Formats: sequence, C-alpha cells, structure tokens
Amino acid sequence: MSAWHRPASLTEAIGLLAEGGVVAAGCTDLFPATRRQALSGPVIDLTRVAEMRGISETRGGWRFGAAVRWSEVLSAALPPAFDGLKAAAREVGSVQIQNAGTLGGNLCNASPAADGVPGLLTLEAEVELAGPAGMRRLPLAAFLAGARRTALAPGEVLVAIHVPSHAAAGRGAFLKLGARRYLVISIAMVAARLVVKGGRIDRAAVAVGACGPVASRLPALEAALAGIAPEDAAAAVSEALVAPALAPIGDVRGDAEYRGVVAVELVRRALRGLAAEGMR
Amino acid sequence: MPDVTPLPAATPIRMGSNAGQPRTRADGLLKVTGRATYAADNHPAGMAQAVLVTAAIARGRVTAMNVEAARAHPGVVEVYTPANRPELALEPDAKPSFFSKLTETLQDDTVRYEGQPIALVVAETLEAATEAARLLAPQYAAETARVGFDLAPYAPESVGFGFPIEMSKGDIAAGLSEAASTTETVVETPPQYHNAMETHAIVAEWKDGKLYLDTPTQAPGMSAAGFAAWLGLDPADVVIRSPFLGGGFGSKAAVVGAFLLAIQAAKLLDRPVKLALARHQMFGHVFHRGATRQTIKLGMDAEGRLTAIDHHTTAVTAAFEEFIEGASGAARTTYAAPAIRASHDGVRNDVGVPGAMRAPGEASGSAALEIAADVAAEAAGLDPLEFRLRNYAETDPMSGLPYSSKALRECYAEGAREFGWAGRPLAPRQMTDDAGMLVGWGVGTATFPCPMFGAEARATLRADGTAVIETALIDMGQGSWTAMAQIAADSLGLDVEQVEIRGGVSDLPDSGVAGGSGYTATLGLAIDNAGGDTIRQLAEIASSDPDSPLHGTGNTRVVARGGRLYAQDDESRSESYADILARAGRETLSGEGKGARGENDANDHSFQSHGAVFAEVKVDPDLGQVRVTRLVGAFAAGRIINPRMVESQLSGGMIWGISFALHEGAEMDPRTGRILNRDFGEYHVSVNSDAPSVKVLTIPEEDAFVNPLGVKGVGEIGVTGTAGAIANAIWHATGKRVTSYPIRLEELLDL
Ligand SMILES: Cc1cc2nc3c(=O)[nH]c(=O)nc-3n(C[C@H](O)[C@H](O)[C@H](O)COP(=O)(O)OP(=O)(O)OC[C@H]3O[C@@H](n4cnc5c(N)ncnc54)[C@H](O)[C@@H]3O)c2cc1C
Repeated sequence: MSAWHRPASLTEAIGLLAEGGVVAAGCTDLFPATRRQALSGPVIDLTRVAEMRGISETRGGWRFGAAVRWSEVLSAALPPAFDGLKAAAREVGSVQIQNAGTLGGNLCNASPAADGVPGLLTLEAEVELAGPAGMRRLPLAAFLAGARRTALAPGEVLVAIHVPSHAAAGRGAFLKLGARRYLVISIAMVAARLVVKGGRIDRAAVAVGACGPVASRLPALEAALAGIAPEDAAAAVSEALVAPALAPIGDVRGDAEYRGVVAVELVRRALRGLAAEGMR
Repeated sequence: MPDVTPLPAATPIRMGSNAGQPRTRADGLLKVTGRATYAADNHPAGMAQAVLVTAAIARGRVTAMNVEAARAHPGVVEVYTPANRPELALEPDAKPSFFSKLTETLQDDTVRYEGQPIALVVAETLEAATEAARLLAPQYAAETARVGFDLAPYAPESVGFGFPIEMSKGDIAAGLSEAASTTETVVETPPQYHNAMETHAIVAEWKDGKLYLDTPTQAPGMSAAGFAAWLGLDPADVVIRSPFLGGGFGSKAAVVGAFLLAIQAAKLLDRPVKLALARHQMFGHVFHRGATRQTIKLGMDAEGRLTAIDHHTTAVTAAFEEFIEGASGAARTTYAAPAIRASHDGVRNDVGVPGAMRAPGEASGSAALEIAADVAAEAAGLDPLEFRLRNYAETDPMSGLPYSSKALRECYAEGAREFGWAGRPLAPRQMTDDAGMLVGWGVGTATFPCPMFGAEARATLRADGTAVIETALIDMGQGSWTAMAQIAADSLGLDVEQVEIRGGVSDLPDSGVAGGSGYTATLGLAIDNAGGDTIRQLAEIASSDPDSPLHGTGNTRVVARGGRLYAQDDESRSESYADILARAGRETLSGEGKGARGENDANDHSFQSHGAVFAEVKVDPDLGQVRVTRLVGAFAAGRIINPRMVESQLSGGMIWGISFALHEGAEMDPRTGRILNRDFGEYHVSVNSDAPSVKVLTIPEEDAFVNPLGVKGVGEIGVTGTAGAIANAIWHATGKRVTSYPIRLEELLDL
C-alpha cells in the first residue's frame, strides 16, 4: 500500500496534498466508494489536523472543524438553533458511523442524500477552504455544486464550517424519512429553523434534501412564513411553496412523485414540531 | 430417552431431564469471544488468496480480458480464465447429486447472469489479487437481457426439489362456478438474495493425497461427495471441516463452481488457496429465492366455506437451469376445500439459478395465499380469523391423510388471546393512535412440512462414565450443537455436561442435511438411537455379568439415569456405567444409530408444523411509512427440545417475515438485467428497531407419529404466515390492498 500521512497542521496537509494523493477523514464514504482494494496514491488523513478539529464559539459565531465527527456534534453544548443538526447527527448511519464520519466528509462527498447539508443550510453555514492559493470562504450553497460535485479546487481542502451568530438564533429541527427505521439512506429529509419574536416568526429557514441533486433552501416558503405565528406555520405550507425548489428523481428508494409529496409533509411536520417546542 | 425399551409407535415420549430445558448455547462463549473459527478464519501455511471475478453484464459474452496486466501485477500467482481453466473429472454441467444445479467453472466465455464467475485471480495477498482482478478489465458483447414475468411461460420439469408442477383434487371449475362468491388475487414476490452474515468461503488444501476443505456447508457428507465427484476423487479423500456456519438458509448445501475453481487452483499451484466471496458476489452465483407472480382464485359458499382453491404460480427461473419456487404448495397444505389445484409454470430470466431459501415455496406461497384469504374473508364479510377457522383443515387438504398432530386451532386461540384480537373492527381504517397513525391488525396462517432426510451418529461411553457423540454435526447459528447435546444426554442417561459432541468434520458419521427444518428430527433421532444402542449393549454386559447387581435383568428391563443403570422393577439394584465398563475391562463402548422416516409412515399421516401470526402495524397516512409495532406468533411444532433456541428460530423467522413484507427485494434494472442494490446499503433487511415487539408462544403438541422423538422442526415456519399477516394488517389500517412485495411507501400514499 502507498503511504498514509497523518499531518498535524494545515500547512503540512496542504504541502502533502500538493504532491498529489487522496484526502481521507473518517473514510465512511471513501472506502465504500473505492472499487479498488487500495486507494490510488498516498493518503492524506486529515483527522489530526489541529485546525480541523473541535467545535468552538468564535467572535463571529460558531466554528466546526471539518474533521469533527458526528458523535462530537451530538455531545457538544450548542444553542437550540443547532437542534436540527444534532438530530441529523443522530441519524447518520449508525453509532459506529457517527463515531468515524465527519462533517467535512459529509459535505465534500456531496451526496444528494447527505443528512448534514439541510441543517447547515438553514444555519447559513459558510465553508472555509484552504489550498495552495490560500484561504477562501464560500456560502455552503455555493460550495455544493451538484450531485457529488463541490467547488473544491485541486489541492484544496475544507478546513472548517462557520455558522454566523445571527444564524445561531432560534430553534432548529430535522426530520428524515427512510424505508426502514434506522441505518438507512434518506428518501427525503427536511431541516427548519425558526426565530420567533413577540409571538411571530421573525425569520424562517427551511431546507429539503434528497429531493434534487443538492439540498436546497425554500425561499418562497420562508418569505411566506415571516410574520405569522409559529402555530400557523404548518398550515401555511403548500406544494406551490415547496415544489419549485425541488427536482426529485425516482430511484430504488422511492419514486420522484412520492418524494415531492412527502417533502411537503415533512416540512409541515418540522414546523409543527418547532411550534410545539417553542410553546413549552 | 432414559428408557431403553423400544416404545410402540403410539406411546407418547416422556421428556428426559435435559431435553425441554432452555439451555444457553454450547458455543455461545466461543462465539462472543471470537474463538469460534469460521471457514475464512483458517490460514494454513503458504496459503494464497483468490479473488473471484464476476460478470458485469447479465447476458452475452466476455470478449477480452487483460490477462497480461493482471499477471504482471506484483504478487500475482496465477490468473484462471476459460483459456486455461483447470480440467474437471466431470463436465461442469454435470449434476452429481439430486440437489446439484448447473454451475460455472469457466467452461466458456458466455455470460448467463450478472455475478457469474468469469475468472479467478490467485495472489500472495488479498490486496494483490483484488487489484489484479480489477486490471483484468473484462470487455463484453452484451445481449438484451430477459427480465421480469412478461415473457413466454413454459412448463417446468418439476417444482422445488422434485415436486410435480401441478397437483389437484376435485373439480375446480365446478367449485368456482357453483360458489356463492369468488375472489381473484394476484400477488407478486420479488427476487430475494441469500445474504447470511458469513459470505461463501473456502480454504482448500491438498495434503498427503487428501483434499482438506474449510468451508461452510449445511450437509458435510453430501458436499464431500459432490466435490469428490467433480474432482474424480474417492469421497473418503475429501475432508470438509465445517463446525460453524455464519448462516446457511439453504444456500450452503450444493457445490458451487467458484469453490471448484479455488480447489483446483490449490492443486495446480500446490499450495492452500482461500476464496471468500465479497458481499456483492452473493447476488447471483450462490442461489436466491426466485420471483413469483401468483394468481389465486377462491370460491366460497354463502357461509364463507371454500369450495375451490386455485393457486397458480409463475416462477422466474434461470435461462439455463431450473429451480421453480413451489409457491402454490401453500394451497395444498393450508385450508380445506373440496377442490384444490396447485399449479406452476416458469419464465426464464437472465439470472443466477434460484434455489432453496428459508422456507422455499412456503414463504412466497403463504405471503400470497394469506392475502388471498383475507380478500375472501372481506368478500364474505367475515373476521379474517373466523374465516380461517371455518376453513380449518381437519385432515391434509390434498391427500386427506390424518395429521400426525395439529394444534393449529390452539395456535389461533392462544395467539389471538395474547395479541388481543377480540374486538377487532371488521372494516378497515377504523383505528388510529394518538399521533394520528392508522392502526391495523392482520393474521396469517403459518405451516411448514416436517421432512426427514437421513443421518447417522455414533455414541461412545468412556471408562469414566462420560460419553462422546460423533457425527458431522454443523451449527449454523440455530443452536443444533446445544439441542443435539440435550438429546444425546437423555438418550445416554447422563447430564449434558458429561456428553462431548465431536462434530463439524465430514469424516465422522454423516449428519445429513441441516435443512428443510428436519435437522433436529433427523440427526436428533440418529443420536437418540446411537445412545439407545449403547445403553442396550451396556445393559447386556451388566445383565450377563454375575458380579453385577443387574445380573439377569436382560437389556429391556433396565433404565438409564444419572450415569447408572437401574433395574426397572427394583430401583435398589443399580450400577454405574463406569463400574460396569471397568469390570468388563472395557475402555469404551460404542453404539450406532440412524435417523430417517419410517418407511411407511408417510403413507399413514401428513406431517406439518403449524402456527398463527398476528401483526399490528401503524401506517403514517401522509408518508405511507409502515411500522410493525407488534407481532405475536403461536406455533405448534411437536416436542420442543430447547425452548430458548426454538424461540430464537421462530422470532428470527418472523423478523425475516417483516423483511419479506416491507424491505427485502432485489431491484432488477429492466434495461440491463443488472441488480441495482447489491449491497446492504440498498438491499434492506429489517434492523432491530423495525421489530420492536416480537412475541413467540409455543403451543404444546405431542406427536407420536412424526418420529420417535416427537420433534417437528421450527427453522423455517416463522417466515410463513408473517409476511401475509403484515400485508393484511396494512390493509386493515389503510383500506388499501397492496399485493406486491415488498410493500413500498409510495404505494400507500394518497390514503
Ligand atoms: C453504513 C453507512 C451508513 C451511512 N449512513 C449515512 C446516513 O444515514 N446519512 C448520511 O448523510 N451519510 C451516511 N453515510 C455516509 C458517511 O458516513 C457520511 O457522509 C460521513 O459524514 C462522511 O464522513 P467521513 O469523514 O467518513 O468522510 P470520508 O469518507 O473520509 O471522505 C468523504 C469524501 O470527502 C473527502 N474529504 C473528507 N474530508 C475532507 C476535507 N476536509 N477536505 C476535502 N475533502 C475531504 C474525501 O476525500 C472523500 O472524497 C453512511 C456511510 C456508511 C458506510
């Protein structure tokens, strides 16, 4: 087998990567996707890179190192805005997968069914990238360029995910639909975050995943929710407000029409759940 | 059995002190500590690693493979393709045993299904072999694959293992035309692929003129004979070691071509070779449950009594070989009617050969017939349980023979009581829970035959009064080691701790087939007879020894208990085994036994296990999501040797039924004939949280005719009944009758 590097710093990692190789984190996507017995070229394992580890509150908001594992998300003390992301963390694969799989891997793998994406979209997440040309930041939506495609340039890695403080407000929720109860790839999933002020929705962020090449926010619905009471939110959801943002396909997990219908229902439920939470 | 007096056939058998106890697994500690060795755990010195290369098209030819590139890869020892395929003693298409199927040993460049072996790469390491296999980069000339039911049907030679394609009694046409009402139900079941946790594996080593194989097999003797026939060897020169199987379910009995290739590679390369199939290679080469489309016409009189059952199955088989899922057999065994027809035809697809998969025939058949029965109950305005009771078969529905025993009525009653069936609303869509989920209840009848094959065992008493049982026993997770030890201990009048079981190797007495739910009955009887034979000899020695307190008792008037023989009529006269043997100067004393069905028994009785499965489902009205919230299964299966193992077999079968109903099925790409979900990410089986509450009741049943042990078998029946009960519960919850398995969420939308 070729070399397996475990750089401790970002500079080291980028230096190694400049010479070519495969980036690896928890390997829970990488290994199943590798048809050959060995990965081609040296492997650069990012899970020890200091800059990519840990969850911290920064001046501007919250920072998640790209190598943060799902189980770390679950056990972190985070404001209620992150409840959706935590719920997703609990449903990524199984506990073993959550102990190995990382946020960065989930985003860079860019599966249409990546459970981490809708929640991070509703948190207005930005990604911090680093490469030979230096650092740059992109909104997550711009980073995800399509099914299994990202904006990563050659030699570039995802360093961290930033959630701005203004988006760390309110409360989040996440619902996932699969054919069986657990350990299942989503047929559809929904994340929502509501900021409520004076009994009215001040800001709503809603995103749907697995119903198109990339998960997407629902701007029309978000606009319609602004200003109404949270308990009226579910009733305000209509197919017309959801469908335009989706481009579902049919596959072994579910057909396109089904995805379109259940996405609407899942949005309703997520909002209903948030309204109930808020009233407690 | 402690009693060595041969019992007249109709006398009920008394429980011994060991059988009937819920002992934990004899192999449990070995397994949870990782010390139970499975085939692929063996690494003899000098072993090379083989990787099977399988076809990526469903039909056509391999036109090229880059053998040079593969050979040139560092560490590669040899690459076998049709160009240099090792010769076999028999034609690859020969079928040396009744259970054999056509298989592939690189005989030519044709591809008959996706997943067919097309090359074998042998290397120093698994990594090198895998990489070389990739470098082969096969090129194909693909032909249009034949997929699905809508092809010209043909009349197969036989159904399952040798059953006629059609069996009938009475006048079907009259039964249907004179019926007060008739129903017709068409049900489809998908192809389901064998996926035991342990994939098929073999380690082959030629040593001192013998062939040693570490490989999982459900039938060591038959497998050894099969390998020997293909390789031109004396069966005695093939030694199979198969102590543990990580699941068999019908897939690990017949010889498959991939194994023959690995064995021949070991011979040609003069070193041990190991081959283990990758998970995706389980989808094709190693048998599967073929898809069925079943049409069931039922006629009823005004009271809901069946006047005719017409059950026709169109089964998908391979284009080049036949195995017909005998689904219509369910019509022969489940409900009473004056006219019954169970018929089959086949359609040929470009798929691997189907074969036996847990409850072959019955699983698919009952999944369909139980829906049809519910449709009929609905048409008759009857509670589904009442409908089943009205059509209760007092004697075998087809043959008319009396049952050796049948406590199905008790199963219905006890299951219904435990489940709380009473008060079930007749109409669908009447029940909801607090969360707004639609709740439904369904029932299904379970039944499975009790075959016996043949098995042999040897029992040996040792000087210290302990014993050893020798037979090629395999334990595929069902707990046979544990149960057989209990039977052995009772037959020898010993405690289970005093009996050693020596098994798992094919050069021991033939243990028969762990299949057809007949293992405990067959091998158990062989062991029981071997123990009985040993005790009989021991009693003879004691009786003829003037110094023994048992002198003159004769071998029929003693009882064996706790390591001693007692005079039957005078318990003060007794002697320990050790003392009897010591005085006779014997180090050991051996007896032998066979297990098989009595020659004429099958003419006198019908042998079936029975059960009733009750299911509760909750269906999300907006998402179509189904959860099976409760399952209760009540089963009557004769004498229960180990209640713990039996419960685990039955609940495991029921959970399999959940998978059958809701999850399991290979998705064939109609354009290419390829399977879209050849992995556990997409080929779903139930997870723990899909089966929150599974309750098993065993209904006591004494059976004096099925075999002298009164054992019927429980390995497969749990699957039957369950899928239908769940489908029926979904109808009851939603009012929607889905007749295609697995039941998908989108079919329950728009409720
Ligand atoms: C059994 C099983 C179940 C699963 N279930 C789910 C599920 O329910 N939901 C779900 O969303 N996912 C699921 N997954 C997928 C996977 O576990 C997650 O997507 C996980 O978050 C991936 O993280 P990782 O660290 O393992 O990524 P890796 O496999 O290490 O990497 C994935 C890809 O991203 C690249 N990469 C990783 N980190 C970086 C970085 N910092 N910069 C640049 N590139 C990078 C790698 O090169 C690779 O191409 C499952 C996987 C398995 C095996």
